[in-house]
Amino acid sequence: MIARDRLNQLKEKFGPAVQRADLPNDSRLFVFVEPLTVRWICQYIFRDLNARYVISVGADDRPFSGKFLLAHNFAFDADHLLLSVLTYLPADDPKVDSISEAVPAANWAEREIRDLVGIEPVGHRYPKRLVLPDSWPDGVHPLRKDHAWNQVPEDLDESREFRFDEPPEGCTVIPFGPFHPTLDEPAHFRLYVEGEMVRGCEYRGFMVHRGIEKLAESVMSYNDIPMLAERICGICGCVHNVAYAQAVESAAALKPPPRAEYIRTIMLELERLHSHLLWTGLACHILGFDTLFMQSFRIREPIMWIAEKISGNRKTYALCVIGGVRWDITPEIRAELLQTLEKLEAEWRPVVAAVSKDKNIQKRTRGVGVAGKTLVKEAGLVGPVARAAGVDIDCRRDHPYAAYDRLSFKVITAPDGDVWSRLLVRMNEVFESIEIVRHCLDKMEPGPLQLAIGDELPVGRMGLSSVEAPRGESHHFVITGENNRPRRWRVRAPTYQNLQAVPAMIKDQQIADMTISLGSIDPCFSCTDRLETIDLRSGAAKVWSQEELLKLSRAKRTDRI
Amino acid sequence: MNRSLMWMAAKGLLNVVLVLLLAPLCQGILRKLTARIQSRQGPPLLQPYFDLLKLLGKEDIESGVTPAMQRFAVYLSLAAVLTVGCLVPMGFGPPLNFAGDAILLIYLLTLCGICTLLAGLASGSTYSLVGISREMMSMMALEPLFAIAIIVGALHVQSLRLDRVLSGSVYAGGGVPWSGLVMLAVMALSFQAFVQRVPFDMAEAETELMEGPLMEYSGPKLALFKYAQMAKLVVYSALFVGLFVPWGSQLRFPFPWLLFWAKVLVVVVLVTLVAATHARYRIDQALRYFGSLLAVALVALVVASCGY
Repeated sequence: MIARDRLNQLKEKFGPAVQRADLPNDSRLFVFVEPLTVRWICQYIFRDLNARYVISVGADDRPFSGKFLLAHNFAFDADHLLLSVLTYLPADDPKVDSISEAVPAANWAEREIRDLVGIEPVGHRYPKRLVLPDSWPDGVHPLRKDHAWNQVPEDLDESREFRFDEPPEGCTVIPFGPFHPTLDEPAHFRLYVEGEMVRGCEYRGFMVHRGIEKLAESVMSYNDIPMLAERICGICGCVHNVAYAQAVESAAALKPPPRAEYIRTIMLELERLHSHLLWTGLACHILGFDTLFMQSFRIREPIMWIAEKISGNRKTYALCVIGGVRWDITPEIRAELLQTLEKLEAEWRPVVAAVSKDKNIQKRTRGVGVAGKTLVKEAGLVGPVARAAGVDIDCRRDHPYAAYDRLSFKVITAPDGDVWSRLLVRMNEVFESIEIVRHCLDKMEPGPLQLAIGDELPVGRMGLSSVEAPRGESHHFVITGENNRPRRWRVRAPTYQNLQAVPAMIKDQQIADMTISLGSIDPCFSCTDRLETIDLRSGAAKVWSQEELLKLSRAKRTDRI
Repeated sequence: MNRSLMWMAAKGLLNVVLVLLLAPLCQGILRKLTARIQSRQGPPLLQPYFDLLKLLGKEDIESGVTPAMQRFAVYLSLAAVLTVGCLVPMGFGPPLNFAGDAILLIYLLTLCGICTLLAGLASGSTYSLVGISREMMSMMALEPLFAIAIIVGALHVQSLRLDRVLSGSVYAGGGVPWSGLVMLAVMALSFQAFVQRVPFDMAEAETELMEGPLMEYSGPKLALFKYAQMAKLVVYSALFVGLFVPWGSQLRFPFPWLLFWAKVLVVVVLVTLVAATHARYRIDQALRYFGSLLAVALVALVVASCGY
């Protein structure tokens, strides 16, 4: 009844501004409101009702309703409720009051909507280009339905450069990226540095934006998209795969069979295991402690093998279809999985015990990259970053999905909000994950793996799904559509929110702490970015221009040089 | 006289050749041992030789803001380390004993560090500049430590002659050699920094500064710089052995010589163990650490000048 209570609260406060509402069940609420009141309603929800900001989604709904659609999603974690505040905007002048003054966490999301859909956030404090490449002309918005998925604007201006802000006085600029050994993926932090102290920074990312959402909305079908979704990320692919499937299932009111839910849970936890071990290793590598880096990877390897046995792949498990899963856990694999977990637990325990007492690592991580409770709230931080600041949120418990409502587990938190706390949280979550997989194997009963879906999925329904990725909440928003594919699919990876807080986390710290502070949120730029920007690649004899590369990549194989 | 001069020169040359021959082997042992600690197979023991040969065979690219200085820094770096090699006893008396004293040695050690600064300045990249500012800061805190250790020894033997200083002179005072033991502890605790290994490799810090001063180096120049770093590990180990672990040099040839290289090997192994079990310190943490060591060293110096 929580959903209805919240709706009544909104109706009481804003009366007729709340036009209509949709309560598909007690854990989802869609509220359609008057465009002029969006800002006040979001402020009320974020400040007075103390909800957590999740993401804002813009959609070109002109072919269907003749209007643009804007959604601001919030989560009431204690109430197990996901809330979406929606509003329709006129097709000729898509403008809406910015909410980022009241909800700072919406900064990027509103800029992205401005870039990709062309909805202008009026009153945004820093409406700089965020996602589109530098050469992209103004006024062309790739996520609009009249823009084809493979269309390149005619007036692409390669000479147009991105204009960085002026550094503050007395600071020198250190370019951290676009390529840097600790980043593994392109992203550019322009650090303003005074001596060894970082005084501020500007971020320019989205260099590996691949236009995945546009591709899905244009050419793929419901059951193709899970395989595309998991290619969003090389580490937490399964999370996106499951989150997408669940969002569609939630929109179409489908419930997968219990065994499928258990298998989804097991695969998600296996992914968490490998991700936590990988991250612990990388964090140690950043600190120069390569021994633990190597040991973590050694301990992690059997997880990859068992995943390969189950799905045929070490990563990208290709697990979900709408209404079920594709792989079963046979008795032989079950036995082997249990053995693997036992070995993992036995090997990981001494590592955690050793690291927990290590003065040397504590010296480099305590008090470093601090994100306190206030920053968590303001920037909408999620996952281990939030839990390490003592904010007890975990989608597995708060917004249960798959089989998590039938399992009991501890949500690990730590009090200090620094890198050390994050390290403790992630190292200890490994044991919880091991237990969860064991429970699943115990409770799982034989049964079908997939729903038999005979009918077409209903059109124009909305679905939300939050899945706890190893790095934090991955949130998917889907509007079902015609031609066996969604009209709109928006992915919000955990790094999208966590990365926005990095400038605040590294301010007034030493450069040496920059890499570990950034590393500690486990940034995944491919998750955050999702268009094709192509950098100049210099060969020994020839420099490829962006145009040539585009031509090369679109040419048929036989026409290639 | 003339013959003994030639004999001296031959011994000096022998030192240089030995350092050049054995430095990559020590690096190989270091890498293999690190790999074993990390549950890896590790490269073959002779891999550093192949690495150097490979780099030496590559195209010599001019880069950085002042390529000439970049080249000069490399040559100077290797030359400085090898000159120190000529002055240090390696199993027999210091070969070029007549050519210099302990003061020269202190200057040459500083020169090794200055080469890194030149290399970083020549490349002109922001990361290199951050790297050399760290190098400079740690040099200022570190170099006095070795100098104090040498001076403590010189005070005890009342001489600046290399053969007398570099034969365990720090313990030569009467009674319990307090100052010598303190300096042994100080040097053991700071030795990683002298050979620029984890936890004190802040100036290069791959994951932060992408090798810092070495960032613009490639091919043969990089090979020589790497060679100089490997040689530095051996030469500094030799200095450490000479100052603090002199025992056994009265035996008959070739035992002192074998014993000496065994001792150097032990130092290399210890360096590896420490490097493999630590995370890198931040520059401010390292400086504070060096600072306290320096304070202790100064006390040892005062104690030594009182004759203990």
